[in-house]
This record gives sequence, structure tokens and C-alpha cells, in this order.
Amino acid sequence: MTRLALVLGLNMLFAACAIDMPAVPMRQFEAGEIQAVATAMEEELQDGAAENAALVHNILGECDLMLGDKDAAWRNFATAGRIMGNWSTSGGEAFSAIVGSESSKTYKGDPYEKSMNAFYLALCFLWRGEPDNARAALKRGILADAEVGDERFRADNPLLFWMAGRMSLLMGMPSDAEGFFNEATKANEWATKHGSRGDVKSAVVGAPSRGNLVVFVECGLGPEMFAAGGMEELARFRPRFSRARGARVLLDGKAVGESVVMCDVDYQARTLGGTEMEGIRKGKAVFKSTALIAGDVLLDSALIGEDDDKARTRGIVGGALIVAGLLTSTAADTRHWATLPSTVQVLCIDADPGPHDLTLEFLDAKGRALADLRQEWSVDVAPDSESYYLFRSLPGLDRLLTQ
Amino acid sequence: MPIQASPMSYPVFTRSVLVLFFLFALPCCGTIDQRIDPDAPDPVGGANLRSQDIRTMADRMARDIKASGVLVSAPNNQPISFYITSLVNESSDPINSSLIVTKLRTELFRSLGGRVQVLDRSAESLEAVRREREAKRSGAVTANSERRGEVLGSDYVLKGRIQDRVLQSGKLKSAYYVVTFELTDLETTRLVWTNDYEAKFASEKSVISR
Repeated sequence: MTRLALVLGLNMLFAACAIDMPAVPMRQFEAGEIQAVATAMEEELQDGAAENAALVHNILGECDLMLGDKDAAWRNFATAGRIMGNWSTSGGEAFSAIVGSESSKTYKGDPYEKSMNAFYLALCFLWRGEPDNARAALKRGILADAEVGDERFRADNPLLFWMAGRMSLLMGMPSDAEGFFNEATKANEWATKHGSRGDVKSAVVGAPSRGNLVVFVECGLGPEMFAAGGMEELARFRPRFSRARGARVLLDGKAVGESVVMCDVDYQARTLGGTEMEGIRKGKAVFKSTALIAGDVLLDSALIGEDDDKARTRGIVGGALIVAGLLTSTAADTRHWATLPSTVQVLCIDADPGPHDLTLEFLDAKGRALADLRQEWSVDVAPDSESYYLFRSLPGLDRLLTQ
Repeated sequence: MPIQASPMSYPVFTRSVLVLFFLFALPCCGTIDQRIDPDAPDPVGGANLRSQDIRTMADRMARDIKASGVLVSAPNNQPISFYITSLVNESSDPINSSLIVTKLRTELFRSLGGRVQVLDRSAESLEAVRREREAKRSGAVTANSERRGEVLGSDYVLKGRIQDRVLQSGKLKSAYYVVTFELTDLETTRLVWTNDYEAKFASEKSVISR
């Protein structure tokens, strides 16, 4: 009885610390029922684990954008960004994550998730009339992208560089803009040559300052993280099927072009490289399997041994090894930002100032328009300035805002 | 044959596990809110400008401007007027720069008193003034005729920028911030005063960060 209580106690000590991924209603998200997703995330924020706060705030921020509440989106992305960008970690949290379950720690996201937070936050700052803070957010995203384990793929997100260049122009800093645009060209060349979707001769990076109406189109769903390996010690990504691969844009009924991939989120995720924590988990997996086998052998030898004292000692050590093995959590922390798009695409349009009707025809892999995803919007192009709009390949989002 | 452990080992082991359990459980006891000194080190951490930096830079700049004597030596005993534009953030850390500007303006107002006129040239204030003046002139609202006058011109403008240099290599990162303030004579474009505030942070990433 005492032994059982101790095992249960130890189990609580370690296993209870594991924090699950927040329950995101993905079916509703994919169906365009954004208010339902936002409500679920609000509840998660109230009642869920505080360690998931950044993840929940990010998803809420996306919902806010689709529901047209830019201020709320800004607050949510800013809050998430502060948590994700903070390297400070308490010793207790690090100990728990290493000795116990890795997912007991505060979620801070992978570099590609930090980059996407930076992109959304930058857009929100821009809409607030703060291009300098928008650029600051993008620079933070570029630095986050440089945190990936595989140094070949550091800072290879053309979207962030290009946006930082555009913000520099809005700040009246053309020399800074030129530097960012050059980096965007290099990042685009590198990424497309190494498996990223997009065009090495992208029209957007080719004429980076072109257009006064900038249309961002988010297509599909980003990668899903899962635990692989015999003891779930490996964190891996798999892509999710996306019907929409791109978008054709019509302005006042006239086709003005197709969007170009500027950020392949799947590529950014799969080129993360290894982490130190992965090495620790592999070590824990070796310890766990060794402890279980050694414990089993010792228990067996204790049962058949003739010397009472030796058998008792072997039994205790064997039992302790089995308990230690069972309590060792090797599972990778697979919490991830599940509502991210698969790609962020851009189309820059030269438009007359004033109101326009903008139609989005999302296209499948064969270039056919997906009728159920068609969206019709009213956009307003500011005189003597630039206007930025963000759209998503989810059904009925245009109806959502006009209800 | 049943395996029996030494009877003495159980209490010690149980006690150890209980102590460990409470040690781990202690931080989970609930939310603790407490008022802390804005000049105290920030418990949240993070390599970016914090409350103590904002307070220190506002106090230091206000003292330095006062000590420079630029804003108090007006010809013919006329009060000097100036306004503060928003800080341009060139760093890689989004920051509400109006927090710094407002704090600095408060410190300047406090230290310079009535000897200078601090003008509010923010876009919102100018718009509010324009609307109110229009309403008064059209008779839509009452107006105190003795207070009628022109929008005050400014002798100086105080502007600034936040810059940083972030170095990152593997697990290490350093962030060096410079917040520079400049006071420019709006008649001559002469830079009459400048000063800066510096802060540097170093961080080492934990193995659990991802």
C-alpha cells in the first residue's frame, strides 16, 4: 500500500507536470466558424494552463483579425510576442522540463512560430500607424528566425525582410530599405533552392517597393507537430493537406494578378534543425529502456536467488529502476500553433486611391478556382500612402464581417 | 520468497518523497500579486528596456536639459516654448515610445516649472484644438473672449530615437540600446542640446527554450 502510494505520488510529481496542447476546435476553424474558435480560446485562456498562454493568445489574435477586431489582435499578438521573445527561464522550470515532462515548460514556440507572431504583430502595428514598431517586430522575427539549430537555414524568411524594407520606406529610411530588400532577395533565392515553395524570380522581391495596395493571402493550414520514435522522443512535422495553393485577385472585376509565396511555413518548420532538448530526450529514452531492462533482470534474479539479503537488495534496486524507468518522461513537447497557414503569399497592386471591390479566387493545385472559398471584399486605398490587407483561405470570412 | 525491504528505509524514503513533493508543489500554490518598486529589477526578465530604464532616462534627461540652461535663458524675459515629438523606434523591440515621451515631458514640466511653455503638438491635440476653435468661432459652443488667441509657435523641438545592436550567437545574445534625445532650435536648425541613455543586456538561452 505504501509502495503504491509512493509510486502514485512520484507519478503525480512528474506526470502531472505535463501540459497538453490546448484544445483548438480545428474543424470549426477550417469551416470558417471563427467566433466559435475565439470563444473556445477565451475559455482556454481563463481555465487552461498558464504555460500555454502565448499559444492561446496567438490563436486568439488570428481569430480577432478574421473577426475584424484589429486592436484586440494587436493586444493578443503583443502579449504572445513578449512571452515568446523572453529567454528568461527559471531554474525550477528547466529542472522540471528536463527531469520530468518537457511539456511542463512555458510554451515559447519554435523560430518559425516566433516569426509568424512577428509578422502578424507588425501588420497590427502598421494598421495602428506605427511603421517603426512594425519594423521592430519584424526585426525581432528575423532574429528569432536566426535561432534555428541548422545554421544553413538561419534568417531565410523573405517575407520578414521584404516587409521590414517596406516599413523602412514608410519611416523615410530608403538606405535601410535597400538593405532589407537585398536580404529578402538572398533569403528568397536560398529558400526556393532548398525546397521552399515560391519563385526564385519572385515579382515581389524583384520590384520590392512596387504597389500601393498590398494584399497578403494566407493559404491552407501549416504543419502539424507530432512525436515520433519508439518512446515519442522525436519532435517531427508533417504537412497538412491544403486545397488552396494560391489566389487570383480581381480589383473592380478585373484580374490584377496572382499572389506569390513569400513565406512557406511548412519549409520554415521542417528546416528548424535539432535542438539540445532533443539530445536530452534521446538520452532519457536510452536511460528509460536500460532501466526497465535492468530492473526486470534484477527482479528476476531476486526471485530465483537463494541468498535472502542479496535477493532483497536486488529486488529493491530492480524495483526502483523499473519505477524510475516508468516515471521517466521521454515524450517530446509537441505543442504547436495549429492554426497557422501553410503559406503566406503577397500581391502588390498599383491602385487608384479610394474604395474598390476586391475579389479573391482561391486556386487549387491545378489552378482551378475553388468556388466555396471565393471572397468578395471592399477595400479602401489611402491617398499618398499604402494600404495593407490580409486574407485567409477559409470559407465565408467575407460574410463573417458583413453579418 | 517475498521480498522485504528494511523496515527502517520506508519512513526515510517516504519523508524524502513527501519533502520533494511539497517542494515541487509549493510554486503551484496560486497566483501571487505584489506591488514592487518600479526601479527594482524586473522579475519577468527579458533583454529589453524596462520601467527602471524609462524612469532613469526621463529623470536624467530632464536634469541635463535644465542644467544646460538652454531652455531658461530667453531674451527679453520671454518664456521659451518647445514641444516633444514622438521617439522613432529603430530598434528590434516594439515599444510604446509615447510612454517615454510622456514621462520625459512630465519630468521636464516638473523641473522647469513655469519658466518654459511645454506645447502639446500631438496629432490628437492639434485636431482637438482645431475642432474646438471651429466650434467656438461658429458659435456652436461658448467662448471666453479674453482667452482668444493664436496657436503658440515653438522655439525648440525635442526629438529622439531608440536604436539597438543585437548580437546573437548560439545560446548567447546581447542587446545594446541607445536612446538619443536632441533639442533643435526651430529658427536656426541648430542642435542646442543632445544626450543619450544606454543600456546593455546579455542573455543565455536555456536548453529548454524552443
